[in-house]
Amino acid sequence: MKNPYVPFKAVIRGIGQEAGDVKTFLLEPESGFPPGAPGQFNMVGYPGVGEAPVSLSRVPMEDSDLFEHTIRAVGRVTDFLSTFREGDEIFLRGPFGRGWPLNEVKGKHLVLVSGGLGLAPIRPVVQIADKLKARRITLLHGARDPGSVIFKTEFRHWRKKGIDVELTVDEPGKGWRYHTGIVTEIIRRLKIAPAEAVAFICGPEIMMRFAANELFLKDVPGSSVYVSPERRMRCGMGLCGHCQHGVWFVCKDGPVFSYRELRGYPDALF
Amino acid sequence: MPFFSGEKRKPRAGFFKFSCCTGCGFELAYFQRSLEDTLKSFDFTFFRLAYSSGALEGPFDLALVEGTVTEPHQAVELKRIRENSAVLYAVGSCAIAGGIPAIKAGGRELEIEKRVYQKKLYRLTSMRPSVLSDYVKVDGCVRGCPPGRRDLEEALVSILLHRRPEFIEYSVCVECKLRGNICLLVDEGLPCMGPVTNAGCGALCPACHRACYSCFGLMSRANIPALKNKFRELGLSGEEIERRFTLFDALRLKK
Amino acid sequence: MNGENTFQKNYEALISRELLAAWVEGFKENFRLIGPAGGKGEAEFREVFSFNEINLDYQSTMLPPGKTFLLKPVEEILSFNITPGGPVAEEPPLPDRKRILFGVHACDTHAILYLDKVFLGVFPDPFYRARRENTFIFSLNCKTVSGLCFCHLVGTGPFLKAQSGYDVLLTDMGSEFLVELKSVRAKKIFSLEGRPPEGRDLEKKKELELELLKNFRKDFKADGLREVFLSRPDHPVLKETAEGRCLSCGNCVMVCPTCFCHDIYDEAGVSLARIKRMRRWDACQDYFFAKVHGGNFREERQARLRQFVFHKLDYEGQFGVKGTVGCGRCIRWCPTGIDLTEIAKEMMK
Ligand SMILES: Cc1cc2nc3c(=O)[nH]c(=O)nc-3n(C[C@H](O)[C@H](O)[C@H](O)COP(=O)(O)OP(=O)(O)OC[C@H]3O[C@@H](n4cnc5c(N)ncnc54)[C@H](O)[C@@H]3O)c2cc1C
Ligand code: SF4
Ligand code: SF4
Ligand code: SF4
Ligand code: SF4
Repeated sequence: MKNPYVPFKAVIRGIGQEAGDVKTFLLEPESGFPPGAPGQFNMVGYPGVGEAPVSLSRVPMEDSDLFEHTIRAVGRVTDFLSTFREGDEIFLRGPFGRGWPLNEVKGKHLVLVSGGLGLAPIRPVVQIADKLKARRITLLHGARDPGSVIFKTEFRHWRKKGIDVELTVDEPGKGWRYHTGIVTEIIRRLKIAPAEAVAFICGPEIMMRFAANELFLKDVPGSSVYVSPERRMRCGMGLCGHCQHGVWFVCKDGPVFSYRELRGYPDALF
Repeated sequence: MPFFSGEKRKPRAGFFKFSCCTGCGFELAYFQRSLEDTLKSFDFTFFRLAYSSGALEGPFDLALVEGTVTEPHQAVELKRIRENSAVLYAVGSCAIAGGIPAIKAGGRELEIEKRVYQKKLYRLTSMRPSVLSDYVKVDGCVRGCPPGRRDLEEALVSILLHRRPEFIEYSVCVECKLRGNICLLVDEGLPCMGPVTNAGCGALCPACHRACYSCFGLMSRANIPALKNKFRELGLSGEEIERRFTLFDALRLKK
Repeated sequence: MNGENTFQKNYEALISRELLAAWVEGFKENFRLIGPAGGKGEAEFREVFSFNEINLDYQSTMLPPGKTFLLKPVEEILSFNITPGGPVAEEPPLPDRKRILFGVHACDTHAILYLDKVFLGVFPDPFYRARRENTFIFSLNCKTVSGLCFCHLVGTGPFLKAQSGYDVLLTDMGSEFLVELKSVRAKKIFSLEGRPPEGRDLEKKKELELELLKNFRKDFKADGLREVFLSRPDHPVLKETAEGRCLSCGNCVMVCPTCFCHDIYDEAGVSLARIKRMRRWDACQDYFFAKVHGGNFREERQARLRQFVFHKLDYEGQFGVKGTVGCGRCIRWCPTGIDLTEIAKEMMK
């Protein structure tokens, strides 16, 4: 039986600086590494340092096996990886988890809501937007300040694809042309037909809660609102127990859950 | 950057000592199987126990500092070490929590001097003890009295690998159970400090049928009142309990 | 005694203690024998070299047999050799020693069945699986109950009712032992000689069980906790117990036979020649267990205690059974005697 702890290697083919401590790594995995879907994650790391769960911020497509990870340096593994350069190899296992429920958005109004780095797992949904056959796609993204907005250069391209993109920051600087304030305020102004809306939300837990509540006020049912919570993970396979939330293992039962599935268990804001 | 990719310069390290028994330094010098590798991987430009000469000035990639600050000139020296070191780890309970040298923190400086030295010693410059972090930023704590092998190794490896260290942060009980010791506190009613003490020793004392006396210091967020209560139920006097908790942690608990 | 029965294979037999000893001794050639043995006061599961070392009357052990021998306390799951071309993964060999885990009580057998659900699920763990496959489980029905046992309330004892997932079931009937071969593999490779049980023997077994059931002292309603737990997750008893008595020491979850949580971490020597990826039992009572960059999901002590109590007594939706098997270990080995059943009772009031 194959030892599922053995990682694959991937070569860094490109690095993009997103914001102060956030970088996007374009990765070419060794052969045999399974392609991932939007919302899934890999356990990314390096021997002697450890592993951390990181979402796919771009998924492999027919024309390319390459995928991306967008990583903020906040600790042991992520700090270490942030010093890597093109051509270096990283180690990863995956892809793990249940991604966004893409087959539920056909003919619907897909509302994507992200805060900060939460845009990373949402980005592959935008990447394959054409295939989703959604009636309409709205992306609402909030960040602390203009300097910390990630994927800045891509929004124009996304708008060209026909996606409504709304940006907002807490602390606008000079020259900021978009919204100021929290994303919930934009949701409030958004025209939504509740029965036709499906929402994917990712960001800090408190933001996910407020965003979801705003949607509930518009009568969007809890079963149409999906969130992707963050938990500590060691294995990614539902064995180490760190990511447990109520009856769920966030790694293998999630990381994407409908709001209804999560509601009611303690130790979270849902 | 992957650590094996060719960096040639050995990291420069220094081992410094303030008021203490030098046990931590000895622990490093007696680093058994690893000593040779350690000296091969690091350029110990200052380590009094291993080399009689050595340059105090730095710069250092790693400063390991043992001991409590109990004299004014030590504080000055500590600040200079910090300024010249990329990474500074406090080593041992004295440097981290005050340890044995801080037992005197509970009393008045002059009274203690009198009790210890009987007559007045005019050249005594000892002051109220402080831990390193009172004076400088500490990048990590290698706990123990002396430190356990695992954390000492972790301190060195973190420099070689250019990554954050991950020092042990859970109770001695966890290690005690991993080792399969029958619990002395539960089974025999011995006043074991294991439940509130940071692990790293491998539950050495309980394995030798001795109650843990917290030489690694309290773990963070320990429930101190709850264990004190338990000790009271076991029949320990208030003073006995206080002593157990301040033997190594006098400074932290006084705060 | 390993002889063959030419006419009909016996899957159940009553045999004397001496014959049981000889039967088990006969396995030593091909199996490492692990059983409850001596210890100062407490028995402990360890390798035994003769049947006489086994304490057939033991009541409980501090560390549970399944978790200790199938999911080792600390274990290497992978290593990396550091070569000039970079780290190269090397898989440690899978354990292949044949073993008999002898004298596993009903609760602890159920605990193994629970661990199976964790470690042999969608992502089977190769080390657990190898050990599980190479370990024959000889379960033993209990003879005494302690004041802390509550298996009778959660359907896991004192006599083992599960029909599969283990190999042999033993019952001390007084002058004789009832030996039942349960698994296909046990029926295939072990042969039994002895008096086949008759109606009155089975009658007696039932009586022994009824007799035992009278000795339980714990009572709380294990059903109906769901609503109470979820409607009052901040019940004051949790906070009072946590702040007043819980030391966050982790003893409860370390000794729990169904607690499967573990940490994974790398160990590198100063020479950096080889890096070992290790796993070790971890405790959700530990402050850092649920810490992430943005915060700690169980910052408060009461949240950690609640995770333990709810995970053991509720959250059946996770694996289809309760987390607890009623062995009472967490109560016995908690330095301040925190009792999850008392917390549940308080919450049900
Ligand atoms: C499904 C999923 C997807 C994710 N996707 C992404 C992504 O796309 N990009 C991304 O950047 N991140 C992502 N994350 C988050 C990322 O996995 C975490 O930030 C992870 O903790 C980073 O690991 P690390 O080793 O670098 O940090 P760690 O060293 O584990 O540190 C994490 C935090 O915990 C604190 N901490 C940990 N241990 C201790 C201790 N003993 N004492 C004190 N503090 C401690 C650290 O200070 C830090 O704030 C994702 C997480 C999940 C669950
Ligand atoms: S002997 Fe001490 S350290 Fe060991 S489990 Fe008991 S209380 Fe904890
Ligand atoms: S053993 Fe008792 S004191 Fe220790 S963490 Fe568990 S409940 Fe708390
Ligand atoms: S009680 Fe805690 S340690 Fe035990 S299985 Fe549940 S989460 Fe893991
Ligand atoms: S929760 Fe307590 S009683 Fe239940 S199985 Fe675990 S240790 Fe035994």
